[in-house]
Parts: sequence; structure tokens; C-alpha cells
Amino acid sequence: MSVVVSPVRRPLVEGHKTYHQITEDLCSPTEKSPSRSWVIAFIISVAVMSYGFFCIFWTIWMGTGSWNLNRTIGWGYDITNFVWWIGIGHAGTLISAILMLFRQRWRTGVNRAAEAMTIFAVICAAIFPLIHVGRIWVVYYFFPYPNTRGPLWPNFNSPLLWDVFAISTYFSVSLLFWYTGLVPDFATIRNRATGLRKKIYNSLSFGWTGSAKHWQRWESLSLVLAGLSTPLVLSVHTIVSFDFATSVIPGWHTTIFPPYFVAGAIFSGFAMVQTLMVITRKVLHLEEYITLEHVESMNKVILVTGTIVGVAYLTELFIAWYSGYVYEQFAFFNRAMGIYWWSYFGMMTCNVISPQIFWVKKFRRSIFVTFFMSIFVNIGMWFERFVIIATTLARDYLPSSWSYYKPTWVEIGIYVGTIGLFFTLYLIFTRVAPVVAIAEIKHILKAGGDQYIGEHANHSHHSSQSSHNIHH
Amino acid sequence: MKNFHKNSWIDDKDLSGDISFIESSSNELQPIAVESILEDERAGLIESNRRDFLKILGFGVGAATLASCEIPIKKAIPYTIRPDDIVPGVANYYASTFVDGGDVCSVLVKTREGRPIKIEGNSLSPIFKAGTSARAQASVLSLYDYNRIRKPAIMDGQSLMEKSWDEIDSLLKKEFSGGGQIRILSRTMMSPSLKNAISEFSAKYNGTKHVMYDPISSAAMLDANLKNFNQRAIPEYRFDLADVIVSFNADFLGTWISPVEYAAQYAKRRKIDAKNASMSKHIQVECGMSLTGSNADNRILVKPSEQGAAIAFLYNAIASQTGGATITSPALNDKAKAALTKVATSLTAAKGKSLVISSSNNLGEQILINSINQALQNVGQTLSFSRASMQRQGNDQDMAQLLKDMQAGSISSLIIIGANPCYDYPMGAAFAEALTKVKNSVCTNSILDETASMCKVLVPDNHYLESWGDVEIQRGRFSLIQPTINPLFNTRQIGVSLLTWTESANFNAKAEQAYYEYLKNYWSQNILSKAKNSSWDQALHDGVIELSVPELASSFSSNVTEAASLITKPSGAETEISFYEAVNMGGGQYANNPWLMEMPDPVMRTVWGNYLAIPIRFDGDRRFISAYNVKENGELVDLSLGSNTYQVGTFKQFGQMEGTVSIALGYGRSKAGVCGTGIGTDFYNQLPVKDGYTQYFLTDIKVGNSSGDIEKNFACVQHHHTLGVTAIETSTGNKINADEAALVDDAFKPLTKGYQGSLTKRTVLRHANLKELPEAIKHLEEERAEAQKLNSHTLYPGHSYLYNSGHHWGLHIDLNACTGCAACTVACMAENNVPVVGKREVSRHHEMTWLRIDRYFYGDVESPNVVYQPMMCQHCNNAPCENVCPVNATNHSSEGLNQMAYNRCVGTRYCANNCPYKVRRFNWYDFMAADLFPVNQHNINKETDKPFYAENLVRMVLNPDVTVRSRGVIEKCSFCVQRIQEGKLNAKKDERSLTDSDVKTACQTACPTGAITFGDMNNESGVLTGKLKNPLNYIVLEEVNVQSVVNYTMKVINRDESLDA
Repeated sequence: MSVVVSPVRRPLVEGHKTYHQITEDLCSPTEKSPSRSWVIAFIISVAVMSYGFFCIFWTIWMGTGSWNLNRTIGWGYDITNFVWWIGIGHAGTLISAILMLFRQRWRTGVNRAAEAMTIFAVICAAIFPLIHVGRIWVVYYFFPYPNTRGPLWPNFNSPLLWDVFAISTYFSVSLLFWYTGLVPDFATIRNRATGLRKKIYNSLSFGWTGSAKHWQRWESLSLVLAGLSTPLVLSVHTIVSFDFATSVIPGWHTTIFPPYFVAGAIFSGFAMVQTLMVITRKVLHLEEYITLEHVESMNKVILVTGTIVGVAYLTELFIAWYSGYVYEQFAFFNRAMGIYWWSYFGMMTCNVISPQIFWVKKFRRSIFVTFFMSIFVNIGMWFERFVIIATTLARDYLPSSWSYYKPTWVEIGIYVGTIGLFFTLYLIFTRVAPVVAIAEIKHILKAGGDQYIGEHANHSHHSSQSSHNIHH
Repeated sequence: MKNFHKNSWIDDKDLSGDISFIESSSNELQPIAVESILEDERAGLIESNRRDFLKILGFGVGAATLASCEIPIKKAIPYTIRPDDIVPGVANYYASTFVDGGDVCSVLVKTREGRPIKIEGNSLSPIFKAGTSARAQASVLSLYDYNRIRKPAIMDGQSLMEKSWDEIDSLLKKEFSGGGQIRILSRTMMSPSLKNAISEFSAKYNGTKHVMYDPISSAAMLDANLKNFNQRAIPEYRFDLADVIVSFNADFLGTWISPVEYAAQYAKRRKIDAKNASMSKHIQVECGMSLTGSNADNRILVKPSEQGAAIAFLYNAIASQTGGATITSPALNDKAKAALTKVATSLTAAKGKSLVISSSNNLGEQILINSINQALQNVGQTLSFSRASMQRQGNDQDMAQLLKDMQAGSISSLIIIGANPCYDYPMGAAFAEALTKVKNSVCTNSILDETASMCKVLVPDNHYLESWGDVEIQRGRFSLIQPTINPLFNTRQIGVSLLTWTESANFNAKAEQAYYEYLKNYWSQNILSKAKNSSWDQALHDGVIELSVPELASSFSSNVTEAASLITKPSGAETEISFYEAVNMGGGQYANNPWLMEMPDPVMRTVWGNYLAIPIRFDGDRRFISAYNVKENGELVDLSLGSNTYQVGTFKQFGQMEGTVSIALGYGRSKAGVCGTGIGTDFYNQLPVKDGYTQYFLTDIKVGNSSGDIEKNFACVQHHHTLGVTAIETSTGNKINADEAALVDDAFKPLTKGYQGSLTKRTVLRHANLKELPEAIKHLEEERAEAQKLNSHTLYPGHSYLYNSGHHWGLHIDLNACTGCAACTVACMAENNVPVVGKREVSRHHEMTWLRIDRYFYGDVESPNVVYQPMMCQHCNNAPCENVCPVNATNHSSEGLNQMAYNRCVGTRYCANNCPYKVRRFNWYDFMAADLFPVNQHNINKETDKPFYAENLVRMVLNPDVTVRSRGVIEKCSFCVQRIQEGKLNAKKDERSLTDSDVKTACQTACPTGAITFGDMNNESGVLTGKLKNPLNYIVLEEVNVQSVVNYTMKVINRDESLDA
């Protein structure tokens, strides 16, 4: 990793850290008693999650009729939330895989948390396809397993089946990638721990000793997994978009969907990373690891992907007009000016217009603006999925069947519950694993910091400590 | 019973935990101790050895294993001796007749293992051909109505005391022979044998009189016919011979007299032969949009109180052209005048080939209608009395006299036969009060309804499916009723009761089939003796018999001046209300039939309730606006009729005349059983009586403004109602599609007049005026060619080769023949075990109908035309639902059927989303009580005991050939695949190829007008193949390239725009 870095580049880790300080800073949240704010957040998250699980139970026990879907609108909150969560997951994979391949070293500050977010988001997402079915007790029909019914295989033409494969692959690879990164860090925690904790972390770290061979294999595996994950970043949301793109419903039947969905996914994923990072760095005092540089870089990604999404929206409108096809034209006319116009405007405002604020450097580097923008973007991206699903179905081919949809308390409860689940998992994660990858951040400590000659540069080099074992 | 605490039960005794039942079933298989066998004293006589021990052991283990198994359905008991005519799994059909007051239809009853499960039309009937009505289709469900009175009883104060028939008989015989006036009250009665029984009864008990009334009265018409033609009867109408039809408010396709018969005749002249296009012209004069009005070419709007003036005006216009005496006619709105003048011209041009009818219950108006028909020389042509109809016989004066006599206390006994005057007679409350003055009130009603609960003796009549009987529908045209099941309860048909009380010499009460013998005797003496080559067996087999009748010499006399003095004078009131009979509810007697309750009103598309139709107009800019501040359908308003105020839901009805509102009668039953009680609002008690005739409108009314609250669970199956309703945009003076402008959300209305063309350019509905038909056909051809060209550009070869051999099923629907009567939708529910879901679920658009009839308004906003489009699974050859199903639960058969494997369905609803026709239905709850999973079972209308479909009695109506679907699966039209399979098997057994008559779908056989044709598209000689060559055909959404196999014909109307000027 000894790459020459321009001396005018700001260091990736601020505060002139030593390797030991890094270890201390990043391990401490897993070693100390939880703070009051963590406890409060955890209680709230668990309560919300429990309510969500109650609503899921209610759905399964009472029947899908407890949702307000109807003969015309067969999907509503369920698939909207599914696509939303899957989209959020994308940032983690992008940061850990694509940015790794592109040698974007700033990624090390956020990749661990982003990957965790990916996994938790996919868990939240996977709930929806599971519970939206009418007969959850036969959901195993989805899987191609040898059976005595013929054998009867699933329908390999169905995008919903592709989803099953895409998402399960995505989840497994993401989990592996995340865990691989955690192995040396778990070893670091183990080395500092005693008793039962030591045993647990020892087995979690697979007996990592930090030998050169370990590192070499670890590096190779990371690269291989990055290589595997990279196509997944593009494929998963492409396949999710096929759920709609391969249909015949005007407003769904659109070839632009794959790139548009991927851009949207990265967009919303980065927004969620921002939301989490802005809070995490504050609460866990990691401002020197997750720096304003990180925030700014991610805001740039948000600006770019938001604009791509905006172009996609406009392309859709243009193509609808250009197609000369009445159903398509009406579908988009109706999106903008029909009964659900407010969701279309929510989407346009939050996704396309508001990110343009990030052309201004001051706002890119403002924590306050970033936090609110990240929330905006997540709202906007939720609206995007709602617009695509509910608005489209509500006004399709036969006017006799047009309908209107608004969720019941059960549907809202499940959605809110998955947010509770997400934060519960994330909060547990901050307590059991280093939120920033210790081993990886140590790799780039010198690369970006030592030569820096710009503002606030510290010229008293800590070269004396540079030979320390990087996992102290 | 090890399963007692589980969620399954076998019988209601089991459910209620009846101790004796549980004990008896747990003792069903007593474990037999080996010792007890071995210690039997006879055991010593047997060579007992190891092998015997093992045998006994084996038996014991086997028995124990069996005992631990779940007990199968208790009632599946094989026949010990199989009845000759029952083959398990094979349906039997018996000819019978659905009759309920004046509603009648000759039918075939399909029975399976002795259970009637479906009604079909009787193709031998000279009147109804093979057609049926929704009411006839639904009548089989009322057989299994668990609210029926199960035993004869007497009312002891407030409580019922069950009695045996013998006790009741001796009690009543004593009462009847005690002298005094006896009255028998019924609705229209068409049974010659029952009338004979009544005359025997009257002969025995002096002072007996039979009074008939109809809830929706046609008494004035009957009296006018008596005056003019010396016939107190409804003439036989021939809508098929009429070039011009003018109907004054008579809903002859929906409810008036004999809609099944008229619809068939009417449709004959509405179907279009593209080469030689001609059709009748139909003008409807009314204020609200009736089913008939919605089918009319032109509607002339007059207020209800102007009907008389309109009839008089038309009379004068015709008289002046034909040289008859004119009368003074009251004022009429100018628009109607101008239109009626033109109508008169086209009527006189079609002398002898026109028909003018009216539903008015005003003697003067009916006399004028008769005079118009006489002047037009229609009598003997399009209407005649040779085959006069018996379908209405009620007499308003007799009924009024009866009420007076009862109030005076001069009636000692009243026998009410299948009538509910306490509810459906305008003076119902007075009638109920007067009933208390009748010493001996006897009621045969099958439900403890408003009237039965006021009577002292309840002698429940059989359902018609449990009865013997006969009907003389038209003079010389008889139809027989034969039972298809033993009486389910301890009920007795009224004929038997009357004859028992009479102690008639012609009647052997001890015979096993007493009424059968009486009926057969009566027939052989009075009917069969007059028929050529007809035996009783043949008559019973055919169900119908036609005797020749003498042509009646036409005699006509009419005093039009006197008539003119009787007609209703326009009131000049600002708002008037008209009351009408609903297509599904009749006079209210069908309220407890959930199939009919959930049958959408053909015009409003609402279910479970009656709604006030209020006018809607375009504001000339962007919005449709309604009177009374009503924004959304279902909003509640206060309706003040005289001193009474009702809170009713509203429906913004296109075609409703300004200054008028309409609402259906037959709702608001207070004692109709579980499904019918408390649904909608009753207005019978508001109907005024003029000159002794009940009137069906009121002028002294006020409608308050809407508060914006929508009726709880207001259920309308259609959310959007129009396809291109045009209006003038005030600012530009241009004609625009008003409905497309109104589709834009209010926030954008200042910016845009909507996407003009967004509805009209859809290839959902094709319509044309008869005058422009050749151009329309050419245009259609071009559009279809373009769509097919685009569709041919595909990467995939498709599977058409699969369908070229064998069968390829297809459907053809003639939109010109479809009147929207909805018989097919009820037939589909009955055939395919489609559940009723109740008002709340329908309000959430959770209805389960496999076949729906989409109703669209189009054309001018003030007097739009209407098209009814039956919509079911289109069985697309390139079905979008199939490739998206992740588990292959829906797939295509080699015969072109889009199939559902319910057991495989996981319920992702992806297929439903991807269906362009939105015909797939999802089981949101356990609507059919299929899972025995109580929490999912679903109440349809506040059932207290158990859900409607969990009742074993109700479940007897289920078609055993069709799977009952469980919660969480998708279902949809299967093209009646069970019928296809049956037809194929029959053809195979006979070693012949399948013909059209082997397979007919339920919707097809129910249709009175022959609008639906099902068949094999590969059968070159089939009826369907011929119909598929019609150049008017189109495929809905052809350009989507899903390759539907359902062809619709273009809707053609014979509208005369000059009438609108």
C-alpha cells in the first residue's frame, strides 16, 4: 500500500494518531459500558422493532387482508419498502468493493459501518418478499430443490425468482466480505480481552495470529470478494428493477430501469451511510477517523448519483412523450399530475432538486446540511419506489379497475418496525465490533498523513512508532 | 374426540360442545380388550393358538390406529342401495320453474348427489328460450338459507311455539269453519293448480276471497287494459318486431314485467350484421339512469311528474299525424317536447312496427299508451293479448279494501302466501297494525320477516326447489315445477296446506307425494287433455308445454278525454324523486340472498345498499360537479320526504336529470335474516297513492347539502366510470373530453385540461353510430392491422403451433347484445364457488368476482350512452401473468387455457399486478371458510353465530367440481374448465368429436340475450368460428400483444343526435 500521495492532500486520519491510539479509540466502544444515549437509542429501537414484529405476526395470523392492498394494487408498502431497503444496502457494497478496486483509500474510514449497514438493510429488505405472500407456509416453493412433485421446479422465467437468487447471493457475499474484514479486528479485540470475551473473540477471529501468510491470504480473499461483489452492486438492483421492467404495465415496462435503479440505490445507500456516520462519529467520538473529507466525498457521490437519477426521471418523461403510446403517456402524465402527484413531487424535490445544494463546498462539508440532506434523500427514494409501484398500479390499462391505496396501521407498523430492526442491529454492531476497520485504517495512516504539508500540518513525525505491530 | 379443542369441527353440535355428541363420537370405536375376547365362554370352543393371538393383536393395533386417525367428513356415506338416477359425480338436470311472485323463469336445476347446486335456462321454453336472470340464478342459494323457519309454529305472545302439522291443521280448520270473512293474500299468483286449490278452499269456507298485489304495482296498466281491450292482463310484447321502441320509464330490460323474455327479443334487433346493418331504435323517457335507459339510443329527460305530460304530448303528436282525437296536455319541458315531436314522426313512420310502453301506475297514462299503440296499429303486431302474460295480476283497489276490512275488524282469518305487505306495501305500518285485529292470521313466509313476525300461525312453505307446482306464464304457456330435493326442514308447501284444510275430496293427504298427485290430476283433466300428443311424463321432462290459443279478435275502446283528466300534472317542484325497483333486489324479497346483495347494481356498480342517484354536470372548465355539495360518491345527505328525513348515501349519476334524484326500493329490511337486515334504506312507506294506485315518485322533497362524510364502508366496485364523456369548455367553446380534464388533480387544474385522449385512445372500448358504421369498421381494420404488424415483430417464436391441433378455446362477446343484466355474474359465482365477501371488503376493492361487467359512460355529458363490457380472464396466449409467477402456479394448457394451480400458489400477487385486464382475484382472508382456521374466517354481514360460509347448510350449494380456495391464493376465471373436461369426456365416451353444445360456460348459458359464445376456435364449423369472422370484432388492448382469446364486438348505437338539440 505504499503509494505516493501528494503532500497537499489532507491526511485521511486526523488528529496525528499513533497506531496504539487507533486501537484504543476503535476498540473502546466494544469494551466500555454503553453510554446513556446508546441505551436510550437501543430501547427505542427494540420497542419499535417489537411493534413491527407484532404487525408481521398480525399479517400472517389474520391474512393479507389486514393490508389495504386490493384487486388493482397488489403491491404497496411491502414491495416499496423492499426495494428501498435493498437500495440502501448498495452503498456498503459499492464502498467496500468498487472503491477498493479503484484504490479509493478514504473508503477505509466508513467501509466497515457501510458494510454492516448493507447486511442489516438486506435483512430488513428480505422480510418483505417473505411476508407479502399470501401463504408464507409454502414459501419454500420458491427454491429449486429436488421434490416428489414431478419434480416441479420454480419458474425460471420469473423476475421474482431471479430476485431470490440475486438477493441471497448478495447477502452471502456481503456477509463474507464484511466478516473477512472483521477477522483481524476481532483478533485485536481478543488480544486486549480476558476471560469468556477472549474465548468468544478468539473463535470469531478464527485464531488469527497476524502472520504474514495470514495477511497475504487475507489480502487475496479481500480482493477476490471485492471482485465478486463488484458485479453484484450492478446486478442486484438491476434484477430488482426487472420485477417491474419485464412486466407489461405502463410505467413499469421501461428499459431504463436497470441503470436508473442502480444509480438510485447507490444514491439512497450513500444517504443512509451519511445518516449513520454523522451520528456514529459524534456519539462514538470518531470525528478524526470519519472526517469531513469522508463526508464531503460521499456528498459528491450523492450529488452525482442524484443527478443521474434526475436525468433518468426526465428521460422517462421524454420517452413516454416520444413513444406516442397512450398508456405510457398517461402513466407519466398521471404520475406528475394525478392523484398521487404529491409523492411524485416529494420524489423530485428530495432526489433531484435538493442534492444540487452540494455544488457548494460549504454545504458539502456541513454536518448539519449533510444530515438533513441524507434524510431528505431517503424520503425521496422511498417516494420514488412508492411512485413506481402504487401510482402505476392505481391507474393502469382498464379505467374500470382503477383504485386508490393507502396503508393500514399494520403496513405502517411493519415499515417502522424494520427501521427499528435496522437500528437495533446497528446498535448491537457498534458494541461488538469496531465501527471503523482497525487494520485497514492503520494501512492508510501513513499513506495520507506523513507527507502532508498543507494547513494544520504537524511536522513532528511519529516515525518512531511506525514499526509497531499494526494490531497492537 | 381428540380433536375437540382443535379448530375443526364436524357439526354444530361439535362446535357448541354438546356433551352427548362428544360422548357418542368418542365411543365410536370402543377398544376391544383381547382378554374379553379370549375370556369369552365360546373361546374355549375355539382352537386358540399363536396365530389367532397375532390376528387379534393385529386387529387391535389396526383398530387403535384407525381410531387415532382424524375422522373423515361424517356425511360422506356411500349409498347402501344406489338410487337409480344418481351416479356419484354425475350431475342430473331437472326441468322446473323459478317463481317468486311475478318473477318467473323456466329453468333446469342441476343437482349433484341429490343437492340442487345450479340453475340453468330451459332451452325448450318458448318464452325465456334458454335465458335466465340474476334472480333465478341466485334462487338456489335461498334454498340453503339458514334463516328459514324450520317448523310450523304459533306465535305465543312474543315467542314462537313450535307445533306439529296435525295440531296446526286442527287448530286452523276450527278457526276457518268458525265462519267470518277469510282472505287469502298473495303477490301475483300464476299457478293454475294452486288457484284451483284456492277455489276449492273458497267453496268449502264461505266468505273466502283471494287478494293479489304486487310490491311494484302494475295495477293501473292491468285496469287500463281491461278498459281498452277488455283484458285484465299484460299483453305479450314483441320487442323483436319493433323498429322503434319508446319506453316511458319502463325498465323492461331490468325489472319491468318479464325482463328475461324482453331482453332476448330486444337483443335480436340490436345485434349487428356488418354486411346488412340495421337495428331497432330505442328511446327511453325517464329521469334517472335505468338499466334499460342505459341501453337506449336516446334518452329524453322528463321529471317523474312530467311523465303524464310527456305521454299526453306524444299522444297528441301522433293523433295529429294519424287523425285521432287530441286532448289537452299539461305543460312539458321544451327539450322533451321537441324530441317527442320527432319521436312521433318516426313512430308513425313505423306503424305496426313500433312499440310504446310505460311503467306508470296511472290509469289515464296507461290508457293513453294503449291509445298510442292502437293509433300506431301495433296491437296484434308488437303487442297482443292472445298470449297475454300472467306475470302481473295485483290489484291496488282490492288491497286497499282488504286493509280497510282488516282495520274494521271484519276479517277473521287472513292467509298470507309468500307476501310481505308489512314491509313492501305503502301502508305497511297500517297493515301491521290492522293485522293485530285479525283473529287468525296465517303466514307461509319462509323467513320470520316483517309480516310473518306479526302473524299468529306460521305454516312455512317449501322453497320452490322442494315443491311440486305449475305456472301459467302466458296464456296457454305452462311451466312445471318439480322438486329436486326433499324438504330440508319440516315445511309444507302451501298447496298441501290449503287442500288439507279444505279436506278436499280430490286430494289424498296421506299419499307420499300428495301435491304431485293433485297436480297430475289437475293437469290431465285441464291441460294435458287439450294438448296434442303430450303425456305427463313428457311435460315433466320438458318442464314446459304450450297449448294453442285462439287468436283474440281485437276490440278497442278508449275514452282519451277522460284519460287526459286522470294523468299526473307536472308539479313544478324544484326537486323530485323517483323510486325504482333494483335489478338485484326486486321488491326486497331477495334481501337475504348474499349473491344478489353483492351483485353490483348494473348502472351504479354499488353493492350492499341503495344510494341516492344525484345529477352530475360539467362546470365548463375542469370539474364534474354535483348538486348538494357532493364531492365523492357515498357522501351522506339528508333526504327529506314530507316530514320524514333520511340520511342516505349519494351516487353521482351520469344521465340523471337536473332537478331529480332517484333511489331504489327493496332495501332497508328490518327483519330479513342475517344477510339482509339493516342494509340500505326503506322507502315503501313513503310511496303516495293517487286515485287508488301506488305512485313511485314524490315531488315534495328536499335534499340537504353533504357534510362530506362518506357512508361507512360505502362499496362501489368501479372507481372510475367514464371513457370519453364530452362537454363544451366554456372558455374556448371547444368540445373536450371532460372526464380526461377532470382526471387531473385539483392542484394542476389551472394549468392543464388533462391529457386529452388519455381515455378515448385506449383500445378498451370501440363504439360507433350505425350511420357511420362502414367508416368505423374500416378504421378498426386499420388499427388492428397496425397493432398486429407491431406485434409480429418479436424475438420469440411463440407457441402457436401448440394450439393448432386439438382444441383452442376462445370466447366471443357481443357488446350489442349485452344489456348488463348481470345474470352471468351471479351464474359465475354459483358455478365456481366464488365467495361473497361483504360490504366492508368490497369497499376495500376485495370483491372476488371472476366475471364482472364494466360499465362505461361515453358521449355527451348530459345524455351519455353506456356500454356494458363483461370482463373476465382473457386467457391470453402470451399471458403476462404466467411468466412472472415464481412458482409456475399459473400456466398455459395446450388448449390455450390459462390455468391456476391453487395448491401451488404462494400468493405473491405478481400475476395480478401484471394482468392488463385486472381480472385476477386474491383471497385476502379465508372468505370461503376453507381452512377451518377460525380467526381468518370472515363475516359477510354481522353474523353472530358463525361466519356465513362456515354454515354446513350454506356449503351445500358449493359445486363439488370446483375447488374451494383457501386464504392467500389467487383465483380467476377458468373458462369453466370443469365443464370443458365434462364435455370432452362425454364426447370421448360417445366416440365422436366435441361439438359446441358439449361445452358451454356458466356465463354463456345464463345469458338471456346470447351475448356470450364460448367454443373451440379450431372447430371450423363451430358457432364461435363464425362469430370470430365478424368485422366488428376487436380485442381489448390488442397492441399490448398479450394475445387475448376473447373477442368483443364494437358497440353500435342508433342514436339520433337531432333529438338532443
